Formats: sequence, structure tokens, C-alpha cells
Amino acid sequence: MPSGFTTRSARETRNAGAALAPLLRAGDVIALSGDLGAGKTQLVQGIARGLGVESAVTSPTFNLLMVHRGGLPLYHFDLYRLEHVEELDDIGFYETLESDGVSVIEWGDRFSHALPAAHLLVVIHRRTDDVRDFELVPHGERAGQLASAWVDAVETQGHR
Amino acid sequence: MRVRRMDVADIPAVLAIERASFADPWTEALLRDELGRDDRVWLVAADAGRVVGFGGVMVVGADAHLMDLAVTPEERARGTGRTILWSLAEAAVKMGAERMTLEVAPSNTEALGLYRSSGFDIAGRRRGYYPKTGEDALVMWSRPLAPHVAAMRAAREGSDIILAIESSCDETAASVMRGGREGLADVVASQVDFHARFGGVVPEIASRKHTEAIVEVVERALESAHITLADCDALAVTIGPGLVGALVVGLAYAKGLSAATGLPLIGVNHLEGHLYAARLSDPGLEPPLVALLVSGGHTMLVHVPEWGRYRVLGGTLDDAAGEAFDKVAKLLGLGYPGGPAISRLAAEGDPHAIAFPRPMLRSDDLNVSLSGLKTAVIHYVERERREGRPLRLPDIAASFQAAVTDVEIAKTLRAAQEYGAHAVVLGGGVAANPALRGGLRSALSAVGIELNVPPLELCTDNAAMIAAAAHDSLAVGRFLGLDADAAPDLALRGNRCACGDRQEI
Repeated sequence: MPSGFTTRSARETRNAGAALAPLLRAGDVIALSGDLGAGKTQLVQGIARGLGVESAVTSPTFNLLMVHRGGLPLYHFDLYRLEHVEELDDIGFYETLESDGVSVIEWGDRFSHALPAAHLLVVIHRRTDDVRDFELVPHGERAGQLASAWVDAVETQGHR
Repeated sequence: MRVRRMDVADIPAVLAIERASFADPWTEALLRDELGRDDRVWLVAADAGRVVGFGGVMVVGADAHLMDLAVTPEERARGTGRTILWSLAEAAVKMGAERMTLEVAPSNTEALGLYRSSGFDIAGRRRGYYPKTGEDALVMWSRPLAPHVAAMRAAREGSDIILAIESSCDETAASVMRGGREGLADVVASQVDFHARFGGVVPEIASRKHTEAIVEVVERALESAHITLADCDALAVTIGPGLVGALVVGLAYAKGLSAATGLPLIGVNHLEGHLYAARLSDPGLEPPLVALLVSGGHTMLVHVPEWGRYRVLGGTLDDAAGEAFDKVAKLLGLGYPGGPAISRLAAEGDPHAIAFPRPMLRSDDLNVSLSGLKTAVIHYVERERREGRPLRLPDIAASFQAAVTDVEIAKTLRAAQEYGAHAVVLGGGVAANPALRGGLRSALSAVGIELNVPPLELCTDNAAMIAAAAHDSLAVGRFLGLDADAAPDLALRGNRCACGDRQEI
């Protein structure tokens, strides 16, 4: 059964990202899927804030990968601009995923076969101008635990 | 400030600086003894007759050993230490020295930063070297001194020839430049006829493609400048910010050339290069300046109080301007690259047709946010489609472009006035946008501030701007060691770029 949550503003999306941060550990891979303007970067900004990243988290569309230093290193990928799966090699994709930090991959669904067996796919659906449904599709046991802990954390946050 | 030989009369002032600098200072007797020896050189830096720094070197065969170097606390981080270091190197070369070595305490981060950013590499560690503190010493070695000293002299005379390499993102580029201003060659990979050589197109992103292109690009640059590596005084390379896989290709190649030839290596911050592009197009351009750098990957406002000093005043909190153009163009089905497509279409549309938001226009800082604007365009398009109305693409393009340029122009104007800029520099690929150029020019001319927009080939990524920035670094003796790493998240700040100043031991 798919799990998930709903946010009603960009601010709520960032807060949901911040709620995921304390649950993350090195080696976790989060893939994001959703149209332009769905709020992928907003979610990553929230995760970064939760990880204690102080530098500005901007869209990595052109730079392809931005590295942020927080409690855990945050590797922020954006595969929007890539056309061939071989290009993932060129940007150090596979090494980075296996390194010392958390990887969040915008447009991760573009190369779903290249994602590791264990990852959490987050599909963002834009319902209206401001409302977003977050559908969590876990791959592997760890991702399943992460997904349910995250949903709990977002719900707790909502009730505070 | 003048550097001259140390005299016995300088000893009291020198000892005062020595005691203010080290836990384990030299004594007067030791220093007096040093001044009498002919295998030593001791120099002082004097400002209005007052000694503000000093250093000494011992030359044994081909090795110069740095004995001591210190400046007064108030004179630090102003280039005095570096001037003394290279003056000692010059004197040591005259005495037959080929390289210089030194010991430095790992905790002495200022000194370590000076030596690293002068091209010294860490070669080893002496355990418990400092008797008073028991601290270890790092042993550092310079690169070959003579080429460095000669290149610095050439840079000060304006005759230096620099070969520069840029590979921070999509383009592989090389340039040859004399005196930091006169371009002798400028090659960008996408301009090279690779079809003939490799039988295919060069895809944009692949760092593997940088690897395939770089030898060819550098050779073409040397060929078209009618020189060989032997005619160059120094090599320069972009060390960041950018994509790490792309940066390392240029850096590794430049290090290889430097190791093979002994030529000095200079690291350049890519963003600093964009600022120097403006000086290439207008050699008389003088700070204080404010620069708006807008491209696919960057959107930032920078204050340049003098060449080599930078402060980022603000930037985008989410999407870069070029990225917003590309994404909206894709949404409207206009193809890639989106910037030119939008500005062509916008020329036929009404910029007031749709009231898109101007995010942060009235915010109290110099930041901008373009992601919300992009989302507003998406919502607008969806609503129109849902309600069965035909999309008026020229009006959407014009209104979107107006929203972006309004915010950029307002923030730039405010920064220029707040920081008393003589001129504003517009750099990066989005500088090609006519509405941004035109709007910025008229807003600035209304308050008597000039706008400098380099020609487009200098606004987009190129190696000429890297060579121009490297010239200024060379003149003051800022170099890269062979153990330097690429710095994908290198910031633009402070005194010159932080190249080589990072303390990773």
C-alpha cells in the first residue's frame, strides 16, 4: 500500500523535508520525481535545513551536482539536463551514492534503472496551485522503514 | 612598502615582530650571527621607514632553506609576507638555489595559507619539531624557483604569456594571453571541428569529453598563438566552482603540464574570471564595481572594491536566471537553449499582458527568487489550457521576461547605489538578453552609472577571462601547488580567490 502525505504550501513542503533530515544516515538515497514547479528543490531545501546546512541550497540543474556540508554531507543531484545514462558515470554519480553522505536526486526517475536497488522514490503530484501530494515508493527494507518514519514525523509536525 | 637588506640597526624592530609572532623566538645573538654569514639573505619590509616584516633564507647548494618569516600583526593578510617570501626567493635564485624548503607549525594557519597559496607542497612532517610546544612541523617544498621568479617579473612588466585552461562545466577552453589583456589565442571546444577528428558531435556535459577534447584544445591554442609551451611564463586553470568531474580534467592536465615543464601553475576562481572578462573588454575599467553575474548556473551580485577583493552581496535563493529561462521555454515548447528563444518571442509580445509576480522585489536584501515565478508561469499556462483559451506565447514570454528583468534590475541598481559603484558589470550567458541589457543600461544611466557588458564570447564560459585573472595573481606570486584539489563549491570572497589557502592536510 503506497504511503505518503500532503502539503499545502511551499513552506509546508520545506518543513516536510526538514522532518526527514533527522531520520537519514550515510548511504541513504532519495530519488525525486515530479513536474517542473512540483517543489522538488523546496523539499531538498528543507532536508538541508534539517541537516544543519548553512549555505544556500539552489537548484543544481546546470551544475548537475551540488555538495552541501551539514551534519551529514548532502549530495544534491539534478538529472534534468542529462540525456544518456553513460553521463552518470561522468558526473561521479555512482561513487557519490556510495560515499559518506545522503544523496537526493531530482528527476531521479529519468534514469530509474541506474538507481541503486535500495532507495526511496518520492513522487510529487501537483493537485492545485499550492497543494502537493507526496507519494512514497520504497525500494528495499531500509527505504520502507524510512518512509513510514517520515510519514509519522510529518503527521506529528502537522499536529503540533 | 619597500623590501631591502636587513641591517644591524633593524634588529630591535625585527626582534619585536619575532616575539609577537612565535612562542619560541630567535634571540638577538642568533640574529646578529646570521647577518654576518654570506650563505644567508635577510630582508626587511619597511613602510614609511618603519619595519613591518622580515625574513631570512639560507642557501646550501641548490636548496634554499627559509629560516624565518614574520610580519607585524596589523600588517598581516595584506600581501607583505608574500612580497618578502618572493624577494627572498629571487635573492636565493641569484645565489644558485633551485627550490626552497621550510618548516611550519600546522596550527599556524596564516603562514600555512601563505605557503600553500605560493605553490609550496607539503612533503612531510617532523615529529615534535618545536621544542617549547612539542608541536610537529610540516615540511614544505616550493616548485622550481627560477621560473616562478621570472614569470612574476614578466607579469609586473606586462610581458607575461599565460596559457589558461577552463573546464568547469560544459566547455573545454584554452587561451593564450600576454600581459593579462592581449589575447593571442582563444579556443572553445564547441568551436573546434571535432567531426573531422573524432567522427562525431561533442556532447555537452560529459567530463569524458573534456578528457578527449583537452589535448586538442590546448594544442590549437598554442598553434594559433604561434608559440610553444617553452614560450609560456605560466599556466592557469579554473579550480572551481563547477562540476567536480569536469574541473578535475582541466586541473589534472594543467598539473601534468606544470610538472613536466616546471612552469608555475595558477589557480583561478571561475567567478573571478567572469569579473575579469569585463576588464578585457574595457581595459580602463576601474573599481569600485558592482557585478551582476547571470548564467545557467549562477545568479549573483558581487561588490568589487578593488581588483582581487570580492564580496557576494546576494544571489538567487533557488533557480538561476538562465535555468528559469530554459525551464519556461521548455514549458512553452520553445526548445533549447531557452534564453534566446524567449527573448526572440518576447520582442513580439506585450510585457504588461500578464501580471506575473516579482518575487522579493521589495525584500530588504539583495537576494532574488525565481522558482516561484517559474511556478506562476506553469499555473497560468495550465489554467489557460484548462479553460480552452489559446496561449498567447509572445505575451507570456514578454511578461515572464519582464518579471525576471524587473527584479534583477531593481536589485542591481540598489547594490550599485549602496556601494558607490562607478560602473556595473553584467556577465554570464544571460547577459546576452537584450531586455536585461537595455533595461539595466537605462536604469543605471538615469543615476549616472555606466554599464559594462563584455562581448558575448567573453560572457559565456571561456579561458581568456581565466588568463586575465591569473595575470593579477601571478604579479603578486599566488600559485597553486601540485597537491591542490578541485574545489567544486569554491566561494568568491576575500583577498583574491581562496585558491590553495584551504587547510586540508
